[in-house]
Amino acid sequence: MAQLTLDDITKIFYDDDEGEIRAVDSVSVDIEDGEFLCVVGPSGCGKSTTLRMIAGLEDVTSGEIRLGDRVINDQPPAQRDVAMVFQSYALYPHMTIRRNMAFGLEQSTDLPKDEIRERVDDAAQLLGIDDLIDRKPGELSGGQQQRVALGRAIVRDPEVFLMDEPLANLDAKLRADMRTELQHLQEDLDVTTVYVTHDQTEAMTMSDRIAILNDGKLQQAATPLECYHEPNNRFVAGFVGEPAMNFFEVTREGETLVAGDFEYPLSASVADTLGAETDLTLGVRPEDVELVAEPGSDHDYDAVVDVVEPRGNENTVHLHFEAGDHESFIATVEGMRTVAAGDAVTVRFPEEAIHVFDGATGEAIRNRDMDTVEQIESAV
Amino acid sequence: MSTSTGSPLSTLREMGARRIGLYLVLLAGIVFYLIPVETAVATMFKTQQAFTATAPYVPALGEGFSVSSAIRAWETLRPGLVDSMLMAIPATILSALFGSLAAYGLTTIDWRGQVAVVVLIIAGIFIPYQAVLVPLTTFWFQIWPGLVTGFVNTVFGFVTGGNWAYPRSGNVQLIQLTITHAAYGIPICTLLFRSYYQAISDEMIEAARLDGATAFSIYKNIIFPLSLPMFAVTLIYQFTQVYNDLLFALVLLNDPNTQVATQRLVRLTGGVQQDFTLTMAGAVIAALPTLLVYIFFGEQFAKGVAE
Repeated sequence: MAQLTLDDITKIFYDDDEGEIRAVDSVSVDIEDGEFLCVVGPSGCGKSTTLRMIAGLEDVTSGEIRLGDRVINDQPPAQRDVAMVFQSYALYPHMTIRRNMAFGLEQSTDLPKDEIRERVDDAAQLLGIDDLIDRKPGELSGGQQQRVALGRAIVRDPEVFLMDEPLANLDAKLRADMRTELQHLQEDLDVTTVYVTHDQTEAMTMSDRIAILNDGKLQQAATPLECYHEPNNRFVAGFVGEPAMNFFEVTREGETLVAGDFEYPLSASVADTLGAETDLTLGVRPEDVELVAEPGSDHDYDAVVDVVEPRGNENTVHLHFEAGDHESFIATVEGMRTVAAGDAVTVRFPEEAIHVFDGATGEAIRNRDMDTVEQIESAV
Repeated sequence: MSTSTGSPLSTLREMGARRIGLYLVLLAGIVFYLIPVETAVATMFKTQQAFTATAPYVPALGEGFSVSSAIRAWETLRPGLVDSMLMAIPATILSALFGSLAAYGLTTIDWRGQVAVVVLIIAGIFIPYQAVLVPLTTFWFQIWPGLVTGFVNTVFGFVTGGNWAYPRSGNVQLIQLTITHAAYGIPICTLLFRSYYQAISDEMIEAARLDGATAFSIYKNIIFPLSLPMFAVTLIYQFTQVYNDLLFALVLLNDPNTQVATQRLVRLTGGVQQDFTLTMAGAVIAALPTLLVYIFFGEQFAKGVAE
């Protein structure tokens, strides 16, 4: 078992029309032994390229990939001791499930036949596909094929699992089941795993840490809760969380943040932490937006409900300010609260819950108070 | 399925006019396409007198029936059929195999200058046979024997004493024809396989690479088994091409004892008095091998074309 290190890796593609394309730009992450790291980001952010570089399917333009003490940049894929699960499963359609799973061992090791057979049987049993083992991939459902693809990786007993959106082709119910199962499996096998997904729910729920990429650059690599509560920048804050954080462009005037629709006075202690920058972005998570009975503080504003999306346990409420440009935003309230479209309500943005970002660079200047988060958690 | 359990007539009644019309058209199509074949077979089993006396497509029975033309045609063609097989089967297999390997190298493996090679290969398809006849004969009858003779007499001169001569027998010529056909078939086979391989999932090939398979192992274990339908297509196509060729055979085979079926078929035509029953018998017999190939590989062929 070993730690996987990405040290300042960069990938540049050359295109005849567009010239240089920096798909991955100086990404550095240490992935601990046995850690489950999710790499997330929007399409084209370089997450798959990063994974393919680790696998050895793409060259690294610059930087180093190390597995333990070994630099694996120039090793062919087969010698890296990694196994990959593809989104399309990439099973060999003309081979039985048994041969699909055994193929890697046959090609890359000198193991005797009965040993291979045994390992394939074990893996098949672990995944609950032992009764399908003599069928061909075409006769299996998507979920079963997914298991075979996993099994093919497991029998290799690699140092690192690489997974490229392995659940993307499954239906929602099955995806949720497989998510849990994958997590258990990874814990049992205790193999370092790099998991690429564009689905932030998957990333939040499964991983030990999340690495968020945008435009080829690493935005943040931290635990899911850190990414959620203490985002490094506006991109991370907006990407993690569903519904996404509300952002308001504001200008700082003394101890007040002035937006088109509202003014947000700051307490002295908060104002002190903001530094000299006046061009700022105010961020509030929907679940931190409170609907209050009547105005009681400086942070209360009049708003009108546009749409209510009931979700059972909670409602997602789309609102807009009554004053100014009628900018819209989202609040999440308890499921039993009765709010209807057209209602005039009072919203509160509690000061301990606000995030402030640099308006130009998007860097986080102030994140929400973690004390209050912990209070809430311990109270529950 | 029809709900009716009654007689065929009531089933027919239920089908409706559209269906019946469709079947009638199809039936007409079958008749249209089979008439020439039926005519050839009918003519083949007639005497000369019966041939002149009856319509071509009416089979002769009794007096007019004769197998003598068929037997004569068979006697004449038999050695040619054997030589044709000896030449066409290896040539076909070689074209398909090399075409498949080349296409694999041109799609799945990445290297510089691929496009230039593909362009050259495609250009190869469009070189007319006639344009290469002179260079081809010069090569096989002068340059190649000269080279081999020189090489053997130089390197093994202590054994041959400089007197070894390139064998110009019919069998050697047959091998030369085989190689020519194999080479001439590679471009079209490459093109067919290339488009087939482009549709094969890249991720699967990458999975195989991660599994530790070498380029050749990927070909042997994955690409080759997956391209069997395409092999059926190229085998049928190439076999028909090579087997039916007369031009190269006329130019490259000049030993009367080693002649392919198409050359021998020429002997059955013409003459002072045209014997149509003999010509037809020869045509039918000469066409049999290509028919058999279609029958044996037909299912795979359909799969390969459909995919």
